Amino acid sequence: MGRLGVVAAGVEARRQLADPGLALAFVGGAAALGLFVLYPTVRVLLYPTVHDYLTIPQSVRWIQAARNSLVSTVLSTSTAVLVGLAFAFAITRPDVPGRRFFRTVALLPLFAPPFMVAFSYILLFGRQGLVTRHLLGLDVNIFGLYGLWLAQTVAFFPLAMLVIAGVLESVSPSLEHAARNLGADEWQVARTVTLALARPGIAGAALVVAISVLADFGNAVVIAGGWPLLATEAWFRLEGMADLRGASLVVAMLVVPTTGLFLLERYWVGRRRYTTITGRGGRLERPPTYPPLKWAAFSVCALTSVLVVLIYLGVVAGAFTAVWGRDWSITLDHWRLASDRVTSLWASLRVAAGAGLGTAVAGILLAFLTSRPVPLRRALDFLAVLPGALPGVFVGVGFVLAFNRPPLELVGTPWILVLALAFWHLPLGYQAAVAQLQQIDRSIEEAASNLGARGLHLLRDVYLPLLARAFVEGFTVSFVRAVTNVSIAVFLVSPGNVVATFAILNMIGNGIWGGAAALTTMLLLVTFAALAAARVAAGRALRPVPAG
Amino acid sequence: MAGHLRLVDVVKRFGAAVAVDGVTLDIEEGCFFTLLGPSGCGKTTLLRVVAGFHLPDRGEVYLRDRRITHLPPHARGTAMVFQEYALFPHMTVEENVAYGLRMRRVPAAAARERVRQVLELVGLVGQEHKYPHQLSGGQQQRVALARALVVEPEVLLLDEPLSNLDAKLRLRVREELRDLQRRLGQTTVYVTHDQEEALALSDRIAVMNAGRVLQVGTPEEVYLRPRNRFVAEFVGLANFVEGQWVGPGRVQAGRLELQVDDGGSSGRKVLLAVRPEEIRVRSGPPAGSPNALRGRVRSITFLGSVRRCTVETDGLQWVVDVQPDVRLQTAQEVYLEVPPHRLRVVEEG
Repeated sequence: MGRLGVVAAGVEARRQLADPGLALAFVGGAAALGLFVLYPTVRVLLYPTVHDYLTIPQSVRWIQAARNSLVSTVLSTSTAVLVGLAFAFAITRPDVPGRRFFRTVALLPLFAPPFMVAFSYILLFGRQGLVTRHLLGLDVNIFGLYGLWLAQTVAFFPLAMLVIAGVLESVSPSLEHAARNLGADEWQVARTVTLALARPGIAGAALVVAISVLADFGNAVVIAGGWPLLATEAWFRLEGMADLRGASLVVAMLVVPTTGLFLLERYWVGRRRYTTITGRGGRLERPPTYPPLKWAAFSVCALTSVLVVLIYLGVVAGAFTAVWGRDWSITLDHWRLASDRVTSLWASLRVAAGAGLGTAVAGILLAFLTSRPVPLRRALDFLAVLPGALPGVFVGVGFVLAFNRPPLELVGTPWILVLALAFWHLPLGYQAAVAQLQQIDRSIEEAASNLGARGLHLLRDVYLPLLARAFVEGFTVSFVRAVTNVSIAVFLVSPGNVVATFAILNMIGNGIWGGAAALTTMLLLVTFAALAAARVAAGRALRPVPAG
Repeated sequence: MAGHLRLVDVVKRFGAAVAVDGVTLDIEEGCFFTLLGPSGCGKTTLLRVVAGFHLPDRGEVYLRDRRITHLPPHARGTAMVFQEYALFPHMTVEENVAYGLRMRRVPAAAARERVRQVLELVGLVGQEHKYPHQLSGGQQQRVALARALVVEPEVLLLDEPLSNLDAKLRLRVREELRDLQRRLGQTTVYVTHDQEEALALSDRIAVMNAGRVLQVGTPEEVYLRPRNRFVAEFVGLANFVEGQWVGPGRVQAGRLELQVDDGGSSGRKVLLAVRPEEIRVRSGPPAGSPNALRGRVRSITFLGSVRRCTVETDGLQWVVDVQPDVRLQTAQEVYLEVPPHRLRVVEEG
C-alpha cells in the first residue's frame, strides 16, 4: 500500500466508526479484550516484584519443576507427534483398513476431561491395576514420569493428528503420481514427497502439542505424584499455602515458553506451509500405499485405539466395581454417591453454556470488526488469538488477581469462571468466524450495501445468517472444553458453585475412585447428550444457509 | 510395420462408466501424436493408462514391442507433464528437474550437467534456485517440461499442458513446444480439447468421443476429410446438408439440387459438409457456377479476421465467412457459390 493508500485507509477507518452501531461494537469489543485478556495477563506478570523474579534460580523446587516440565514436554510431544503422524497418514490414505474407525477413535480423547486419561490408566495399569495386577500379576508404580508420559501421549496425539492430516490432505495426489512417473519407487515417493511435504505440518503439530503438554494440569495433578511440575506447582502454592506471589511467579515462568512456542507456530511454521501449486486439472485418486508403511501406520493406530477405548472402559468399569483392587463385584453404590453431587453437573452445564455463548458471540463480533479497516485492527486480532498461548493455570491465577477486589469483585460468583473460560476459548470461536468470513464473497456485502444496508445492519442481515456455522462451531468447542475443564476451574470455583470436574478431582484425591468414576461417566453422558443436541439444533440452524 | 507405442483394444471402466472403450492405436517413433476430444471423452484416462496410473480392464500397451501393460509407472520410461504441473513445492527448480535422475541414481556431477542442458533447452537458466511458487505460470510449465525431458523418456506424455496459461502465452509456448519436439525427435502423446492446438502441433491426431477413437489422421485429413459428423463439427465449424443421391454427383436437399464431386448410388441418404470459409458470396448471380444459391443475409458478426454471416437459401441456413473488407448488410440479397469439390460426403447410408 502506498502513502495514498495509507491515508485512504485512515479515512476509511474513521468513516467506518461514523456508523454508531459499528462504533459501539468496536468500543465493546476492545473493552472486553482489554479487560478479560490483557488486564489479567498484565496483572500476573506485574504481581511479583523484580526481586521475586530474581529469586527464581535459587529455588531448588522450582528449578526441579521447570526441569521436569521440560523433560515431560520433550518426551510426550515426541511420542504424541509420532502417533499423530501415523493416524494422520492412515486417515488420509484411501487404502488403510479401518481408517474411518481410527478417525473416530482419535477424536474421543478430545471429549474427555483432561484428567480422565491419567485416572483411567491408574485404574487399569497402576498398583491396583486391573490389567497390570490382576491380569498380569505385576507390581507397577504408574505414578510419576512414565505414567504421565503415557497419559499425555494418548491425551494429546489427536491434536497432532488434526494438524498433520490437514497438511497431508492438501498434498495433491498428482505429486505422488509425478514422482512415480519420474522413476521413484514407492518407498522413495513416501520419503521424498509425501513425508517431505508433511514436514511443516509435523513441526506445527509439535509446537501445538508442546504447548498443551506444558500447560497440562489435569493429567499431571492426578498421575505425576510427587514429581513437581510447573503447571501443578501454581495450584499447590495457592491452595496449600495461599501464596499468590509464588503462584504468579510459577505461571509467569510457564507462560514464557508457551508464548514462545505459540508465536513460533503462528508466525514462522504457519507461514512455511507449502502452497500447493496447482491450476485446474482432473484430480487423480491417490496411488496405493507402500505396504510396509501402510501396515506400520495400521499397527500404531490399532494399538493406540486400544489404549483410547480403554480410557472409557476403565472409567465405566470403575463406576460399577465395589472396591477397586479388592472386591470386583458389581455395585450401584457409587452412583448413589455421585447423585449426591449431581448439582455440580448442573453447575458445569450452566457454566459451559455461558462460556460457549460468550466465546461464540465475542468471536463473531471480533472477527467482523477485524475484517474491516477499524483502528487498532492488528492489536485486536492479536489479543483475540493470544489466549491460545496462555496455559489454563495462568488464566486462572490471572482472573483471581484481576477480579478479587472492587470495582470488579467477581471472585466467589459463578460469573468469573464463565468469563475466564469464554475468553480463554476465544481463539477457537474467533478463528472459526474468521474462516467463515473469508469464505463469504465480498460481492454479497457489496450487493447489500448497494441496496442500502450499512454497518450493523450489514452484520444482522448479511453476516449473521451466514455466520450461523461459525456460531455453532465456536459454541460447541468452547462448551465441550468448558464442561471438561479443570485447570481454570480449580482456581475459580467457590463453595456454592462447585463444578463436576472439580468435584471429581477432589474425590480422586481422597481415594473415592468409584464415586469419581461414576461422576465422570455421568459427565461424559451429559457432554455427549449436549453435543448431540447441539448437532440437531445446528442442523436446523444451518439448513437455510446456502452451501459455499 | 508396428509402431513405437502401440495400444491394442484398450478398455478402462470406472464402476459402470466406460471411460475408454476399445481403443487401438499405432504411434510412430518421433511422432507428435494428439488425442483430441471434448472433456470426458476418455483422452486423459487413455494417457494415464499409457503412464501406468490406471491398469486397463482389457487390452495391451506395447512400447518398442515390449508389453508394458502391467509395469509400474516408474519402470516404463514414459515421462509425463501434468495439467496442473505437479511441481514439488518443497524443491527448487534444479531439484525438481534433477528428481528423475536422482531416482535413477545418476551420479551427481553428470546429473547436474544434464539438468543444466535441459534448463538451457527450455530457457530457464538463472532460475535454478527458485521455488515453484516464485515462478510465473509459463515458467512453471517449462519446469514441468524440463523435469519430464531430462530423463530422456521413450515417450513424452502431455496432459493439456497449456490450459493453465493465458491466451497469448499459450501461443508462444505452443510454438516452442513444437520446435523442441522436432529438434529432439521426441515421440510425444499430447492430450487436448482445443482443436486449433491439435491442428497446429500434431503430426497425427486421433479424434475421440465417448471413449472411442473416431478418426486418426494428419491434421489435414481430419480437417479436410472428416469421416463423420462429430469429427467435422469438433474440428472446426461446418455446414451440414442432409440429402439424397438422385444421380451420379447429384444430391437433392429439400428444394435444392447440389452438384457433388463424389459419386453415390441413387436413392441413398447422404450427409454433406462444407466449411464456412469454402463458400463464396457474390452480390450478383455467378456465371457458369454449378451450385449458385440465391439467399438473404440473416445476421453478420465481425470476428476480426473474417465476417461471419448466416445466409438463408430456400429454407437452408449457411454459415459463411467473408473477408472483413467485404461489406454486407442484413436482409441483403446475395448468391452463394458452393464449389462441388468442397461438398464432402461425411456419412452415407
